[in-house]
Order: sequence, then C-alpha cells, then structure tokens
Amino acid sequence: MKNFWTRTKDELSQAWIVTLKDIKVYYLRPGMIMFGFLMPFFMFFSFSVKREMSAGDGMARLLALTIFFTAAAAGPFIIPTERRLGTYDRLLAAPMSLLTLLAGKIAVGAFFAIAVSSIALIIGILFLNTSIAQPALMIAGIVIGSFTFSAMGVIFGSIPTRNPGDVQMPSTLIRWVLLFVSGVFVPLSEMSTIARGISYLSPLTYAQDLMNHAVLGTGDLALWLNLSVLFLSGVIFLLPSIKLHKRGRVLGY
Amino acid sequence: MIHAIEVHELTKNYSSSGSGELAVDQINFTVEQGEIFGFLGPNGAGKSTTQRMLTTLLTPTEGQILILGHDLSDDAYPAKRQIGLVPEESNVYTELTAWDNLMFTGRLYLMSKTDRGIRAEELLRDFGLWEKKDVKAEEFSKGMKRRLSIAMAIIHKPALLFLDEPTPGLDVQSARTIQKLIRQLSSEGTTVFMTTHQIEEANQLCDRVAIISHGKIAAIDTPEKLKQTFQQVQSVEISFMLSPNGLEEKLATLPEVSTVLKIGDKWRLYTESPAALLPYLIKFTEIENLDIVSLNTLAPSLEDVFLQITGQQIGSVSEEPSSKKMGMKRNKGKQS
Repeated sequence: MKNFWTRTKDELSQAWIVTLKDIKVYYLRPGMIMFGFLMPFFMFFSFSVKREMSAGDGMARLLALTIFFTAAAAGPFIIPTERRLGTYDRLLAAPMSLLTLLAGKIAVGAFFAIAVSSIALIIGILFLNTSIAQPALMIAGIVIGSFTFSAMGVIFGSIPTRNPGDVQMPSTLIRWVLLFVSGVFVPLSEMSTIARGISYLSPLTYAQDLMNHAVLGTGDLALWLNLSVLFLSGVIFLLPSIKLHKRGRVLGY
Repeated sequence: MIHAIEVHELTKNYSSSGSGELAVDQINFTVEQGEIFGFLGPNGAGKSTTQRMLTTLLTPTEGQILILGHDLSDDAYPAKRQIGLVPEESNVYTELTAWDNLMFTGRLYLMSKTDRGIRAEELLRDFGLWEKKDVKAEEFSKGMKRRLSIAMAIIHKPALLFLDEPTPGLDVQSARTIQKLIRQLSSEGTTVFMTTHQIEEANQLCDRVAIISHGKIAAIDTPEKLKQTFQQVQSVEISFMLSPNGLEEKLATLPEVSTVLKIGDKWRLYTESPAALLPYLIKFTEIENLDIVSLNTLAPSLEDVFLQITGQQIGSVSEEPSSKKMGMKRNKGKQS
C-alpha cells in the first residue's frame, strides 16, 4: 500500500513537471497563440457582430468558446511537434505511466484555457459591466470544461504522426462541427427537435449551458447533468488517447 | 549474474497484416553489465528498430526483452528507471537553458533537488558547458547540443545507456570528448549499448559488436575475433611517386588481387594472401618503372568485416571522403 501511495505521489509529481516544462516551452509559441488565444476571440466577434445580445449572454458564449478552443488547441500542437523534434521519446522512455504523461499534457491545455478565460472574464467585468450570477459555479465550470476539452485535444495529439499538419486538419474540422451543432450561437430553446437532439451529443452544449447557469443564472439543462457530462467526457476522452498511443508504439511513432 | 540486456527471438513487423518484410527477424543476444556493446549495420538493417524496442519506445511483434533482469512486457517501470537514452537527433528543449534542461530531466527521474543540482553542475563542468548553463540551447552548436543531450541521459546515473549514432556530424574535438565520456562511463560500471555507422569508432570503443543485416544478427563477437575470421580481406597498401594513367586497371590484373581501391595517394590491393601478391607487385613496379614511396600489408579492418558480412562492396563505407573513392572494384566472386 505504501508503494502504491509513493508511486502515485511520484507520478503526480512527474505529470506536474511535464506541465511546467510545456508551459515554459510552448505557451508563447505562435501556434499556441494563434489557435489557442486569438481564434476563440475571432470566432466570438465574427458571430456576434450585429447580433442582439446582452453583455451577460455574450460573456457566457465567450467563456464557453475560450475554454473549448483554447483547451483543445494544446494537444494537437504540442504532441506532434514533440514527436517531430524527438523530445516526445524522452517522455515516453521516462519512468512514468502513459496516464501520467497524458495527465501532464491535459493540464497544459487546461491551464492555458483557464488563463485565457480569465482574461475574457476580466474584460467582460471591467469593460462591459457584466455581472456573474454564480461565481463559484463559473470557476468550477471553467476548470472542469478546460480539463475536458484539453483531454479532447490530446486525442488528436495522440494520432501517430510526426507532422503537426496531419493533426491540425482533423482537429480543426471536428472542433468546427462541434461548435456549430452545439448551443453556442443558436440557443438550445430555438433549435429544431432534430438539431437539439444532435446538439446533445456535443460536450460543448453542456459547457455552454453551464456558463449560462453561471453567468445568467438560467439554463436549459439541469446543472448536475452539465457537470456530470463534462466530467465523464473528460474521463472517456482518455481512452482513445491511450489506444492511439499504444497504436503509435506498434507503428513506431 | 544478471545480463544488462537479454533478447530472445525478438521480431518486429511494421506491416499491420503481418505479411510485410520483417524489420527485425527473431534475433537473440545478450549484453553483459559494464560492457560497451556496438550494434552495427547498414541503413534499414534494423538497428534503430531494435534499440527502440529495447528502450520501450516500440512494441515488439514477438519475442522477449529483459533489461537488467526486468521483463519489459510485464512491467517496464523498473527497467525505465535504470535506462538512459541518447537518440540520434539531440532532443534537447531548445527554448530552455542548459541548466533547465538538466533540472527537468532530473525531476522526471525523481531526483532530489540537492542531488540534481550537484549532478547537473558536475556534468556541465565535465562537458564544458558550465559557462553556458544559463544560455538557451537554441544558441548551442550541434556538438554542444549533443553533449547536453548525453548529460540529460545520464543525469540519473543509469546502469544502462543507449546511444544512437553518438558522433556523426560532430567536429573532431566534440567526437573525442564523447568517446572519452563513453569510456569513462564504462569504467564506472555503466553498460553502453551503441548503434553506429562509424565502424572505426566501434572498433576502438566496443568490447563486443553485433552486425545486423536484413533484420538478422549476422555476426557477434569482439572486433579482433571478427577480424581474424575474415582473413580473406587482407590487403597491401602501396603508394608511388607518380601514378600514371591506366595504373588502376593494370594493378587490377595482377594475380592474387581481388579488389583495387584508391585511398588518397595510396592504392589498396585486397587479397587473400599478401605474401603471394608481394613478388608480383614488386615485379610489376620494375616493369612499369614505378618508384615506391611506401608499402604496407594490412590486416582486415572491422569495416572490411562489416562489408563482407553485409554483402556490400569494399570501399562503400570508407571513412575517406567519397570524392576520393575512385577505386575500381574487381569482384572475383570472393565477396559475399
């Protein structure tokens, strides 16, 4: 039992070291700034211009967009880049489990999303006089959503390739599809039955509804459902990442 | 005594259907603790594939690998803690300083703050990088990155160090520093497994070498014993004051000569029997009125052995620049 706890403590420490290293190495790289920082703001302003919406409504959408796009940007950028440079081999050969490595990589995207969301939040509160209905829920939502969508990004990063371009295309495509089927730009209550049914398949729908609860104080879905789906999605997203890494080891990536 | 590396029937097939050519084909070998073991082979022979399987980066199709007694298929963790890996490309984090690169690796291997600080300083000083410890690795030369990469691989004092092509592309000084380091590590008890194209380097450094060809181990022994096995690739090296046109063709027609190779200002005549060739050669110089500058008989080099085993032509992997390799190869059916 002692060995188990010692090993767990060691693995957590190693995951944290991987995260810290990636923060130092990648946060200011153009790829991260473009896909993780600027993209959600571009998306938000593109779809918000000339649309009637309250400051709170806009805030909730911007927060959902930033945690989604920013968190999911890290994995597809960092992991293939490290594979290309050979630095990923250093991590794979190190005495830590694959789950630890993935946890470290997921935390990188999650912290980036939390930081960018905080910037969006400060802008909203200071310049748009947005009020937050449930601050604690909003913090919990940002944290859980960031980890969940970062885990989704790591799935794409786990595709066995050394070329970041091979990963960016499918990851961008799927993120855009999820964005349009979710209730970010069209509220769930205004969707047709079929569209609404499809939107329930996207975890972003639940993140958006959670932000609506947190910022506006109201949402279409139950709070527990939003939190549960986001949390479970994050856990389930680990499975394809593990499978793809194992496949990569068979193929030689 | 536990072997540092023990490999049984190790096989790798990259084809998903299992029908493709085997990259590694049922190889078996052991490496003893404290040994410097060279793994030689032409491009695509299976060197890197084998090394990647030994370092857990690649899953074997079949076979068993024991690293310091630990079966990698059961639990790779205890083996990983005792392994250091230096890949062919120096995989340092160029955005980090030399010091931060070492600190990161030390923490990854769960070293205490005091231990990794002491060890990092020791390594940076030994490798001539102490003055540059706070400089980002992106400003380092290739040789400096290589040294840093090796320092990162040995910061945790691994019992077994894997080196993939340690010196190609480095200046002479950097290459010698690394060779000296490999000897030093070995003398301190570290087992070194190195894949290399630099056959002379393997000859000078390795206790034993394995030659892999088409995914199979073709030979495995000490360099000297391998050379003794291949006496048919002895040679006579001769240089003349002047080398008239057509000399190469004439030398190739001499009895007992299997291959003629021009190396710089010298001619190397491969033969099974230097003693039998010499009278013909002396007579030839008299008839052609050639003044001899130097004349030496040479035992087979490890490179010659390597070429014989891998079925390549003599001269195809010479250390000499390729522009100087103008020698004519006359195959008399003696090469494999």
